[in-house]
Amino acid sequence: MRSHSSRSNRRSSLRRLRHLGIALTVGAGFAAASQAAQDEAETAATSDLFLRANKVIVSPGKAMDNMGLLVRDGRIVAMGSELTAPEGAQTIEGEVICAAFIDPWSVAGVDASSARSDRVDTATRATDALDPYGQDEVLDDLLESGVLMMRVEIGRAAALSGVGAVIRADGAEPVLADAAISARLDTPGLDPVSRVGQVDRLASTLGGAEKYANDVAAYERDLKAWEEEIAKKEEELTEDFKKAKKARDKKVKEAEEEGEELKEKKYKEDKRPRPPKFDADKASLARAVGGEVPMVIHVEEALELRELLRVTRPFTRMRMVIAGGRSSLLFAEELAERGIPVIVTPAPSSAGGAVGEMDPGFALAGELASRGVEVLIGSGATSPVASRDLPLLAAAAVGHGLDQDAALHAITAGPARVFDLESKVGAVRRGLHADLLVLSGDPLSSSTRVLASISGGKVVHQAGN
Amino acid sequence: MKSSLSQPLLALGATLLLASSAVAAPQVAKTAVKAGTVITLTGEAIPDGVIVIEGGRVTAVGAASEVQIPWDATVIDQPGMVAFPGFVEAHAARGIDRPNETLDVAPFLDVKDSIDPVNFYFEEALRQGILTINVQQGNDTVVAGQGMVVKPFGMTVEQMMVKPRSGVKISAAPKRGKTRATQAQALRGAFDDLRMYLEEMVQRKKDGDDFDRREALYQGREIEGEAAKGKPLACSGWTIEGFERIPRGEVDEKREPLLRIVEGKLPVIMWCASPMDVHAALRVAEANGFTSTMTLALAPACWKAAPKIKDSGCHVILAGLEDDEIDPITGESVETFVPKVFHDAGIPFALMSTGDSNRSLWYQAARCVANGIPRADALAAVTTTPAKILGLTDRVGKLAKGTDGHVVLFSGDPLDITSVVEHVILDGAHVYDRSKDVRVKQLFDGTRPPGTASDTSAQEEWPGDGDGPEDDDETENKG
Repeated sequence: MRSHSSRSNRRSSLRRLRHLGIALTVGAGFAAASQAAQDEAETAATSDLFLRANKVIVSPGKAMDNMGLLVRDGRIVAMGSELTAPEGAQTIEGEVICAAFIDPWSVAGVDASSARSDRVDTATRATDALDPYGQDEVLDDLLESGVLMMRVEIGRAAALSGVGAVIRADGAEPVLADAAISARLDTPGLDPVSRVGQVDRLASTLGGAEKYANDVAAYERDLKAWEEEIAKKEEELTEDFKKAKKARDKKVKEAEEEGEELKEKKYKEDKRPRPPKFDADKASLARAVGGEVPMVIHVEEALELRELLRVTRPFTRMRMVIAGGRSSLLFAEELAERGIPVIVTPAPSSAGGAVGEMDPGFALAGELASRGVEVLIGSGATSPVASRDLPLLAAAAVGHGLDQDAALHAITAGPARVFDLESKVGAVRRGLHADLLVLSGDPLSSSTRVLASISGGKVVHQAGN
Repeated sequence: MKSSLSQPLLALGATLLLASSAVAAPQVAKTAVKAGTVITLTGEAIPDGVIVIEGGRVTAVGAASEVQIPWDATVIDQPGMVAFPGFVEAHAARGIDRPNETLDVAPFLDVKDSIDPVNFYFEEALRQGILTINVQQGNDTVVAGQGMVVKPFGMTVEQMMVKPRSGVKISAAPKRGKTRATQAQALRGAFDDLRMYLEEMVQRKKDGDDFDRREALYQGREIEGEAAKGKPLACSGWTIEGFERIPRGEVDEKREPLLRIVEGKLPVIMWCASPMDVHAALRVAEANGFTSTMTLALAPACWKAAPKIKDSGCHVILAGLEDDEIDPITGESVETFVPKVFHDAGIPFALMSTGDSNRSLWYQAARCVANGIPRADALAAVTTTPAKILGLTDRVGKLAKGTDGHVVLFSGDPLDITSVVEHVILDGAHVYDRSKDVRVKQLFDGTRPPGTASDTSAQEEWPGDGDGPEDDDETENKG
C-alpha cells in the first residue's frame, strides 16, 4: 500500500482529496497536514480572503506601497492602503503581490497523446483533451511556481492544429475555450524549397478559409435580401388575393361550361439561397483569419519567417502571433510595424549554428523589445513540466537585456492582452479575477519564494503547508 | 464451421428435449423448487423455502409451511442447497460473432444480428449462474450498435431474447487511431450532424409549405393549413423549432436511433477508460440531453472522477475491481479498491465480468464483501442494480411474485468460494444440472462425452469444436 514518507505522497493525496472529497487510508503526519490545508482552502473559497503586501504590482511598471486586497467570490472587490481584514477572513501577508504568471505557450494539463498527435484538424478542441487527473503532479508544481494559467495547444505534430485554450493550472479548468488556432512551420530536415512550399500551403489553406467565410457572409446577405423580397411578395399576394380568387372563380365556371379541366396559373419565385456546405475546419480557421481569435504560428528560421510575413500580408484582419522566432530579429521592423507579438522561449544560441541576428540566443527577447516588438515569454510547449520554469525563463531574459517590467509584462499582462483576457486577468485591479501571487520578494528574482498562489479567488498553494 | 454437434448440444444433451419444449411453450410447465435456504433479495433469506413457477413466472415465494405447491407441478426438492435469483450481467461484449467496430458511428447496427447462440460464453454463463446478460458491442468505437438483453439458453436469438434494443454503446475513450481530443470531436460531431440533418429537413419542409401557400394566394385558391403530422422534439439538450412538421417516419432510419437517444427513449451505455473520459462523456450527454438515460461503464482508473459522477446521478458499471498506480517518484504501486470508492460515495454500481477467465460475478461480489462493502450491497451490485440499469427491475435479479421464473440452486452460499451452481431453472424449465454437465465431468472425472472418439489424437482436440474453447471468446474489452 501507500508509503507515507515521500514528497509525492503529500502531493497525490492532496490532489486526490481535492478531487474526491473522500478520506483515504493515509497515515498521520503529512496526511493530517494536507487534510488541514485542504479544509482551510475549501472554506476560503466560499468566504472572504484578505491579502496584504508592502508592494503591490498593479501592472508591470506600476507599483503601490503597502496595500491590502479583499477577494470575494473569485474577484478582487477592494484595494487600498487603509483596508483592513474583515472579520473571519483568511489573511495572507507577504512582501510583494502581483498578477499570476501566464504561460502563453504550453502543453501542461493536456492529455499527452492528444498534445503530441498529428491527427488533428482545425476544429479539434484543446478543451476536449484536458486531463486534471493524469497530470496532477505537474499541475501541483505549477501552483507552487506561480504559473497559474497556460495557453495550451494540441496536435503538436500537425502542421495545422486545433483550437487552443487558456486553462487554470488548478484542476485544468478552461478560462477561455477558444484562445487561438495554432500552426507550425518548423519541420526539421526539409529542403529549402519544401520549407517555403509549406508556408505557401499554409497561406492557401488560410485563403480557403477566408473564401469560405466570404461565401457564408454572401449567403447571409442573399438570404436576408431574399427574405425581404419574399415577405414583400407575400404581402402583395395577400392583398391581391380577393381579385385572384374572383378571376379564378370565373375561370372555374368557364371551364365547367366548356367541360374542360381548369388550368392553374403558373407561379414562379426566386428559390431560397442555399448555404455553402458546412465545413467545420474552414469555419474554425476562418475565425482566426477574420481576427476573432489569434493565429499562433510556430516558426524559427529566417527562410520560413520571411515567406510567412510576405504571404500573410493580404490577411489584414488576422491577428498573427509568432512563436519561437529564433531569427525574428531580422524582421523586427516589420513585426513592430504590423503589431505581431513574438512568444520567445529564452535559450542559448544553437551550437555550431547561425550567429548574430539569425540566432541571438538569450538576447533575443531583449533585442526584440528594444526594437518595439511586443515580447511574450513562453515555455515552448515541449513538455508539460516546462511551464514550471516560466519565471526563471523570464529572469534569464532580464539577465540578457530585457527590461524588468517588460519581462513581467511578457508573462502576465502580455499574454492576457494577446489572448483576449485583459478584462479578466493579467493585472491587479478591482473587478478583475483574483488570480494572484503573494511573494517574498521581487517576482523575477530567483531567490523569491511564492508564499501563496490564489487561483480564481481560491488559495491553491501556500508555502509551509 | 459449427457442426450440428455444437457445444450446448453436447453440454446439455440430457436436458435438451425438456429445454426446447420449455422454450417453445413455457406457460404449460409448473415447477416448484424447494430449497434449504431461499435468498430472495427482497428481504431476509427464507429457511426451508419454496418457489412456485407457473407459465414461466414466479407465482409464489415463501416458507414451505406457507406456500401451497400445485398438485401438477414438477417438484425439485434440494434441502441441502441455496436458491438464488441468478446473477445479472449489465454489460458484456461477448457471445457475439464479431464486434462491429469498423464504422465510427453506427447506431443502426444491432448485436441481434451478431449474437451466436452456440457461443461457449453462454454455456459458461449458465454454469456460473449468470442468467441475464446485456450483450453490447465492444468498446473500440465512437457510437456503436444497439445491444440486447438475453438469457444464456436457447437455440435461436429470438428464444434467448429478454429485451431488444436495450441501449446503444458509446465510447468516450479514444478508438484506435484517435486521441482523446479527436474522439470527443467525433462524438460531438455525431450529434451535431444529426441536428444539422434535422434542421435542414425542417427548413426544406417549411420552404415547401411556404411556397405552396404563396402559390395558392397567387392562383386565387383557398388552402387549409396542413395539420402537423409529427411530434415536437423531446430533447432537453437542444430543440428545433417546427420539428412537429416532420412525420417521424421520414427520418432516415440510419439516424433514427440517435434521435431516440437525444429524446431519452434509447438508453446509452458510455464506456470510459480514464477519469478524463468521464468529463467528456458527461459533457456530450449534457449537451444532448441524455444524462438521465446514460449508464457509465468504467475502467478502474475512473474512480477518481467519482464526485463528478455523483453529481451527474448516473449509475455505473465497473469493469474491474482494482486500480493500480505507480507513484512516479517512489515507484511504489498504489492500489485502490474501486467498488469501495463508489459505495462510499453513494453511487449505485453494478459489477461486470471482465477478462477471459473471469465470468464469475459471485467472485467479484465476494471480493467486495472482503473489502468492507456490506453483503447486501455487494449482492445488489450483481443482481438488483444491474436489473435496474437494464430496466428489468420487476423481472430479474430477485425472487418475488411476478418475476421471471429463474432460480439458481447453489451447493452453498452464493458468495462462498467452495459453492458451485448445481441446478439452473430458467423460465420454469430445468435447463442445467451439474451432475449431467459433460464438460465438468470430463474436467474433473476424466469421463469422455458419449459418442466421442477414444484415440489419443482426438483427445487433443475437443470434438465438435472447430475453434477450441478459447477462440470462441475473442471479444474482449479494450482498456
